[in-house]
Amino acid sequence: MTLTKRLLAAVVAVVTLCSMGAAVSAETVKPETITFFIDTVFGSMMLDSTFQPVVDAFKEATGITIKFIKPDHSVYYDQLNLAFASGDIPDLMEIGSTNYPTYASNGALWDMTSAWEGSALRASGAVKDENYVNALKIEGKLYGFPLSMGNGTITYIRQDWLDNLGLTTPANYDEFVETLRAFTEDDPDGNGVDDTFGITAPGLINGETPYDIYLREFYQDAKPDIYQNADGAWVDGMQEPQMLDALYRLRDVYQKGYMDVEVITNNTSAAREKFYAGQTGTFNYWAGNWNVTIENNTRKNFPDASVKPIPPTGGIYIERPSLALAISNACANPEGVFEYLISYAYDGAEGQTLFTRGIEGIHYVKEGDAYKQLPDPENTEKLFEKVIAAPDLVYTSWADPIKLDERVLSSKAMFMENRRFDPVPPASAVWIENISEVIPIRKEAIALAVTDEGVTPEQAIADYVSQAQPFIDAILAERNGK
Amino acid sequence: MTTAQPTKPRVRRAARLWKYRYHYLMFLPVFAATFLFFYLPMGGIRFAFYRYTPFQPPSWVGWANFEKLLFQRPAFWTAFRNTLTLSLTNLALSMLCSVTLSLLINEIKNRFLKRAMQTIVYLPHFLSWVVVASVFYIILSPGNNPATSGLVNAFLTRWGLVSKPIFFLADARWWTPVYLFISRWKETGWGTVIFLATLTSISPDLYEAAQIDGAGRWRQCLNVTIPAMMNTFVVVLILNLSKVMNLFESVLVLQNDRVLRATEVLQTYVYHQGIVAQSAEYGYPTAVGLFRSVVACALVLICNTVSKRVNGRGII
Repeated sequence: MTLTKRLLAAVVAVVTLCSMGAAVSAETVKPETITFFIDTVFGSMMLDSTFQPVVDAFKEATGITIKFIKPDHSVYYDQLNLAFASGDIPDLMEIGSTNYPTYASNGALWDMTSAWEGSALRASGAVKDENYVNALKIEGKLYGFPLSMGNGTITYIRQDWLDNLGLTTPANYDEFVETLRAFTEDDPDGNGVDDTFGITAPGLINGETPYDIYLREFYQDAKPDIYQNADGAWVDGMQEPQMLDALYRLRDVYQKGYMDVEVITNNTSAAREKFYAGQTGTFNYWAGNWNVTIENNTRKNFPDASVKPIPPTGGIYIERPSLALAISNACANPEGVFEYLISYAYDGAEGQTLFTRGIEGIHYVKEGDAYKQLPDPENTEKLFEKVIAAPDLVYTSWADPIKLDERVLSSKAMFMENRRFDPVPPASAVWIENISEVIPIRKEAIALAVTDEGVTPEQAIADYVSQAQPFIDAILAERNGK
Repeated sequence: MTTAQPTKPRVRRAARLWKYRYHYLMFLPVFAATFLFFYLPMGGIRFAFYRYTPFQPPSWVGWANFEKLLFQRPAFWTAFRNTLTLSLTNLALSMLCSVTLSLLINEIKNRFLKRAMQTIVYLPHFLSWVVVASVFYIILSPGNNPATSGLVNAFLTRWGLVSKPIFFLADARWWTPVYLFISRWKETGWGTVIFLATLTSISPDLYEAAQIDGAGRWRQCLNVTIPAMMNTFVVVLILNLSKVMNLFESVLVLQNDRVLRATEVLQTYVYHQGIVAQSAEYGYPTAVGLFRSVVACALVLICNTVSKRVNGRGII
């Protein structure tokens, strides 16, 4: 063999070895275990009988062990922060839209943009609505995968009350207010007692973003937050003219007694209970499965009650950013977690069935040609609802083996036709340092403007500006690059 | 002649340690628990001088967090003022009500009735603040109509005492008096425990002597009972003073959006800044917490010093 041939053979051998090596490194390594911090999934109690079969089935399908960690809902973020502070950081975690940007901006989350864009999951087309993925991007980077649709609130109304009063479904804001008046003054339940009012809500402003997700008829195009307007400029929504109009709308129905006088002290369960108890006939609550829950609970007290969702009579409904499944930056094999767990759970096929409906024979069963849910082990009076993603909030091409209740479908369809996406709020050191001072001032200004006869909305806004302006200026200066 | 060598102090100490070894052994778990759960966590105080998030190593900022709270955050001073006003008023009312109730209960001569009364007044203390707040929200509810109105507003409107219901817990003018009333309803009975123990320990001979001197019930109370209670009064006052900056749960459960400024106290401010704001930045809230502790400590020391100078009695 000549020297040239030997050299050529050596070069070929080296190139071959290198390409083999490249091929090996390009293949994602399968993780052995994945620690997964969860909050809203698997019901509230995380019973072994509920989740262990899912863990076993996933191990059988992929060879990977999932270790779920589920703190109590009320201290979920305390525990997640503690996990980061102590260095015992999970590989994968569920994060809501208020915390998601904070975690991302602090470098806690793995940037999965390229993993998603080059993924077989994306190429497969299983994710039929990429808006949900894009909505979680922060400055073009994706730090979390949508757990399900974000969903939002829709207005529910007592149809039987409308029928009793001979009213039709309100089609615009004036008709809506007239309905609230009739629900307050015209004895809609026909019991001859003055014991009803028009509308309730869990507070005049939501406790987290989107702050205006309740009372949609009144907020309309106003936004009680710092946001980017249509021109791309960041503005303080409290100082926009739309907010003054919104405050007058809220004030009008509150002062006339059509709105629950205790709205500012209500939480979500208090608002729901007032609706179930027949004190009020209208409120905003989550679209989809909640339609069934609300009607069933109301019927426990009033067997003839009928609860219907209605299209927005002013403005539009809001879809909040999805809960995110985020991979921590401390994860040893983030690509593996994305490919073997996230891609599997949203594959639109068997993986998604496992992570949505659960396991046949344990969580659901086939009867004849149809599938039906089995009782929830946590509460046998209810049917098992979901493993991770709620079946009514799926954004992939997955075909649910179980037919959803017609009320769920109609409520969701009405919401989808009349909603816009709300963006993920920004987060930066300046934002974080100042927004926590603005929020309580904003809450108090709205409460005073609406509920205090002696304070006009203009006075409330002026008072808000006098207190919050330095913090707002700092945020806007940073956001607008001044 | 030989003189006895004085025992060396070290030897004496060792002998004493050995002599009381079982006492020290019994004390060991208490010491360990105190160290672990009270002193060791104080290491977290250092974060008052850092910018600290769970996601990145703490970065030293010196006095920046304190400059922020002292000069850049008006909400801090509002909370500070509210804390002092609410706490000191509450403390004064607490001492007054507890002593008065103790004296009244002490006057009950029937033992069964006296014990029953003690049990009744202690009970509210064992209710959680969440339950108490829920009960008072219902009782004080303005309601949209007579059917949903609370007991108090129903009474006031029915008897024409007010033209329209009052939202007591959402009106800044009413919130503080109502809060003080609820606090006293819940805690006055419990506050009588120590005073009643003191009252029962007063020698009957003193009352007998006062009676012989012609003192009536009122004079006995002024000249025997109250002087005998003074020592206890000072101790309770100083102990309660150390807790005046700790207002939290009771205020949090009765707060709402409309009275945020009037009701925010330092502990709820820390909670809102550190937990609710979801900013995951703990340096500043730690600085607020440290400032609060220093003020509480100073109040106790001042009160103790004043008490020593005036009465010759203190607890430190």
